[in-house]
Amino acid sequence: MYHMSKIAIIVASEKMDKLFPAVTLATTAAISGWNAEMFFTFWGLLALKKGYQPSGVTLDYKAYEGKLTEALASGSIPGWKTVLEQGLATGRIKIYACSTTLGMFNLKQEDLEGFVDSIAGAATFLSKAKGSDVSLFIS
Amino acid sequence: MNADITVDAKFKSCPGPLIALADAVGKAQPGQVVKLLATDPASPSDVKEWAQSVGHKLIATEKSGDVYVFYVGVSG
Repeated sequence: MYHMSKIAIIVASEKMDKLFPAVTLATTAAISGWNAEMFFTFWGLLALKKGYQPSGVTLDYKAYEGKLTEALASGSIPGWKTVLEQGLATGRIKIYACSTTLGMFNLKQEDLEGFVDSIAGAATFLSKAKGSDVSLFIS
Repeated sequence: MNADITVDAKFKSCPGPLIALADAVGKAQPGQVVKLLATDPASPSDVKEWAQSVGHKLIATEKSGDVYVFYVGVSG
């Protein structure tokens, strides 16, 4: 039987140095014919708010923030949302927003980007992620 | 080598060149050849792996200075 490869990624940070690798892997997987399941939880959920733009990098790496901002401005590194949208266009990336964090931030699904597929709890995400070939927690 | 479509992804970092290639290949007709220009040092292995996983054919890879040139044959 043909096996469709799958990657599961939990995104727990809203900083650009975390979002970028997460969407790079998801999109590359999707354009390579894989399915990608992405669960945004804790601070990662903030990245799904409508119109969200990352304000910076993780505090430990603040010294390199200028380099990344420069690369983004020059276009040599595309914005995280641009990369994600390319992957979403394949229809093979699913985006789940963590229900617990949503409640913690007093957010509703209508506060989130339209590309969010659904609000999910841990059990739902586990069932979607089950059988993944690659699984990552990015925080 | 002749190409039907040329995609210039020079100075774009990973995953820029692959996204541009996948986009062009998706719009091309079966049998056409897509030419990709890239400077990302990971592109030779990335393009090869991608072509293999999606079933298109990497016909040739050339290098001219710092620029890699890939020819990908689009499968039906």
